[in-house]
Amino acid sequence: MPHGQAVRAQRRGASCFGAGSFLAVLGLAIAGFLCALPAPAKAQSAAEPKSLAAAVAKGELPPLAERLPKVPRVLPVDSACSAEDLGGTLNMLTGSAKDTRLMPVFGYARLVGYDTSYRIVPDILESYQIEDGRIFTFRLRPGMKWSDGAPFTSEDFRYFWEDMAKDPKIAKFGVPPELLADGEEPVVTFPDEYTVKYAWGRANPGFLASLAAATPFDIYRPSHYLKKYNPNYTDPKKVEAKVEKSGQRNWVALHFKKDRAQRNDNPDMPTLQPWMLSGELGSERLIFTRNPYFFRVDEEGRQLPYVDEVALTISNPGLIPAKVANGESDLQAAYLSFPNYPFLKRGEKRSNYQLRRWESGRGAHVALYPNLNAKDPVWRKLMQTADFRRALSLAINRKDINQAIFYGLATPGGNTVLPGSAFFDETLRSMWSTYEPERANQMLDELGLKRDEPDGLRHLPDGREMRIVVETAGESREQSDVLQLVRDDWRRIGIDLLIRESQREIFRNRIKAGSTLISVWAGIDNGLPNADTDPKELVPSTAEQLEWPGYGMWVETHGTGGEPLGDSPELAPLKRLIDLRQAWKATLDETEKARIWREALKIFADEVYTIGIVSGVDQLVVVKDKLENVPEKGVYNYDPGAFFGMYHPDTFYFACPAVDTAEKRP
Amino acid sequence: MSQIPHFISTEPFDAEATTAAGSVVSERHAKASQARLIWWRFLRHKVAVVSLAFLAVSYAAILFVEFLAPYELNSRHTDFIFAPPQPVHLFHDGSFVGPFVYPLNYTLDMETLRRTYDEDRTQPLPIRFFCKSEPYSFWGLFSAETHLVCPPEGGTLFLLGTDRLGRDMLSRIVYGARISLTIGLVGVTLSFIIGITIGGLAGYFGGWVDATVQRVTEVLRSIPELPLWLALSAALPLTWSPLLVYFGITLILALLDWPGLARAVRSKLFALREEDFVAAAEMLGASPRRIIFRHLLPNFMSHLIASASLSIPTMILAETALSFLGLGLRPPITSWGVLLSEAQNIEAVALYPWLLLPMLPVVLVVLAFSFVGDGLRDAVDPYQH
Repeated sequence: MPHGQAVRAQRRGASCFGAGSFLAVLGLAIAGFLCALPAPAKAQSAAEPKSLAAAVAKGELPPLAERLPKVPRVLPVDSACSAEDLGGTLNMLTGSAKDTRLMPVFGYARLVGYDTSYRIVPDILESYQIEDGRIFTFRLRPGMKWSDGAPFTSEDFRYFWEDMAKDPKIAKFGVPPELLADGEEPVVTFPDEYTVKYAWGRANPGFLASLAAATPFDIYRPSHYLKKYNPNYTDPKKVEAKVEKSGQRNWVALHFKKDRAQRNDNPDMPTLQPWMLSGELGSERLIFTRNPYFFRVDEEGRQLPYVDEVALTISNPGLIPAKVANGESDLQAAYLSFPNYPFLKRGEKRSNYQLRRWESGRGAHVALYPNLNAKDPVWRKLMQTADFRRALSLAINRKDINQAIFYGLATPGGNTVLPGSAFFDETLRSMWSTYEPERANQMLDELGLKRDEPDGLRHLPDGREMRIVVETAGESREQSDVLQLVRDDWRRIGIDLLIRESQREIFRNRIKAGSTLISVWAGIDNGLPNADTDPKELVPSTAEQLEWPGYGMWVETHGTGGEPLGDSPELAPLKRLIDLRQAWKATLDETEKARIWREALKIFADEVYTIGIVSGVDQLVVVKDKLENVPEKGVYNYDPGAFFGMYHPDTFYFACPAVDTAEKRP
Repeated sequence: MSQIPHFISTEPFDAEATTAAGSVVSERHAKASQARLIWWRFLRHKVAVVSLAFLAVSYAAILFVEFLAPYELNSRHTDFIFAPPQPVHLFHDGSFVGPFVYPLNYTLDMETLRRTYDEDRTQPLPIRFFCKSEPYSFWGLFSAETHLVCPPEGGTLFLLGTDRLGRDMLSRIVYGARISLTIGLVGVTLSFIIGITIGGLAGYFGGWVDATVQRVTEVLRSIPELPLWLALSAALPLTWSPLLVYFGITLILALLDWPGLARAVRSKLFALREEDFVAAAEMLGASPRRIIFRHLLPNFMSHLIASASLSIPTMILAETALSFLGLGLRPPITSWGVLLSEAQNIEAVALYPWLLLPMLPVVLVVLAFSFVGDGLRDAVDPYQH
């Protein structure tokens, strides 16, 4: 399908999802073409959002038709309320001032994004085209603007590519890995103002997913804004003065500081998100106001978001459930955990909210991560022994934990994909995760871990008693409770478990340094993968991985950092996993990709690299009665999903008198 | 104005009767030892006596916690999570049965996810006394299975309810007493030894010893207590066994508690050694040792005893605070502070208030110690009449 034709088709408002099936076809010139937009018809006639009408009337802001791109993204929603009744402030609670970073996740404006069936569809892009899985052509929306009114064009992509990714001062470690296909850089061209093309010699299958991620890899920047801090574009003396004033070391540091879109801590930085940070940082209440140039509209052509303002109130994480039960949040999922259920349920009527249970997209709700890169040589050898990890897993009475902590509503089992995924296999979930303490004891005996008396502690080969310190990030009471129960179970196999509650950054650093023996965290992030999902979570791929930070870094840095794998037979399955991911990247064949996924999952489960405990624990979502359009059922997951982002919070709105929701309720 | 009747005794005045030899009471007083006098005066303070009795019982109890607690410390009951306190009944169907409980029926409301427990009123289950139940290891010395009270056969006995893992709160509080009560005693003993020695040295020798001690205590006292405790207890290696952690925490508390005492001892010694009666004793050829222990110490004993008995509750509270903040003792050691830190959430307050019960023994013990300290101070003060 030629590119231009597709755009015309889209302008006619035709839906062309059918073309997506071409993605599966190997070697065809056009691998896929997707467009998401039904008819953008009435954009010009729609009313101004109430809160902006005054500014438009005074001429401070151009009228709606000039603020929207020629072809805005139309979301299939239509609020029954009139423009007069839309607006308001959405109140939410959060635990830390750093949570400004939640708003770009919440807004979920991405070049391409997931829809609710986990297909990738164009969002900021008007359309895109992939050839051979290696040539990506992105078509921007003509007339689209940044939140300060500056046009959003291919120049913004060029700036990132030429002035950031290729600038050795800014990209100290070279071109970011997302832009490398097997170590190779793309040829990036900008045919016109609204077209960008990335071409590699071989396939780069993870590229689109990285653009659609909850923490996206952004390949564009507000160039008109950042150029002010770049001496290649602005008088170096002026830049120097700004550096001086800001107290940064040099212009690179200042540029970096001004360019933190994910962290979202710079109110001056233009954005494409529905809400933008406004006002003072460091206050207890962070306010995000609507982006007057936002590119999404509803079916009537009214500009989104419906809600004018989002207010994040910072409070003590421990108090958030209490405040939510008091009705202080309009929409809340963060900082609520499953044990809060009875308490929150009790407040439903009094505080006019509804407690909903969304599925979790995680492979396991709680999982233990033995650190294969532990510093202590004796422990490290044990952690790298599959039978040791298996024995630890077999000793855990998961049914009991499920009953005691999760009301029997969770599913006991290992850390693998969820039943919603095509790759789900019951045998993998129960592999090495049944309760067989006798067998675990026998396996430990065979490893030569002796104990003096039948009930005593086992000894390490060097004579020390086996005491494992399991570290938590100190954020979840559930994790500590689970650990308490695991401690009782492990005591029966002669291993003492000590719990150390830490703090997230320290927790991460200690794991990377190998000081931590076992850590506890949730299971794999994406429990609902399809063949096109990068199997990176099952394979050493980044230094952030809790089970093998050293090997992950080694892979991530192409062997320049981290820890090489070596030749020990214990690590052979790990090498196989790395090879599998390479094979996945190299192929465009869906059945082959699926086969790779299945094999990787099998190795991951059989080697028990992570000890999953329970899965399928629902996320609690509290929704005020007056807040409309929030789905009853959903999947609450970070990536893919961006928490609420996938469900487009910009389409949530407060009920107006015309639609009295209180009466609709049973 | 009415006339006040005026009366003059015509009996001859016997001056002897008002002195020791003259009356039975005075004679007993005159012949009694210092300790006995103190004891008599203490008995006059009724609240202090009751408190002392309470503390005596409490401390006696921690010797036998395994026997007293109906359940073993770590025994969990997955079917009885967050069970409320189980009432004890005496009469069933109008007839006296003796103390008994009804079996609990557990239902989980799938709508609200609340666990509800109903008594099955048809079947009284008498509580057993001096009975065999869960085996335990008495002070780690020998195994036994006799308990003072046991749950009825086939039933449960959760007099103070259970926690989120289905552990009996009463048993945990009883076990927690062993840690919480002793940490005060051990800590105060340690800080006393340090305080009296250092304060005594400073007061007796004076000069540069005194100056050094003074500066050190000033520095120590100027550091805010809670953050320092937190820092020190965070520094305890995580791989230490719980017992070592216990002694570590005790030592931390003791090491920070002595400066006040040392200071008091030193200043009292300073003041008193210039007194006339010390000079008199010296004239009469008394040795320094006799002067200190016979003449000086009794003079500020009241202060020492009072600060000792007031330090114990401070230590108990400090342990509770540290553990509450998650930096003191850690599970599996169970102290009252640990129990309270586990109740540190909104659910405990709103839905499971019995989890806050460990507060009660903390309050009672601290109050008792304060009353006893008060009574003792009054009793030992030679100038108090």
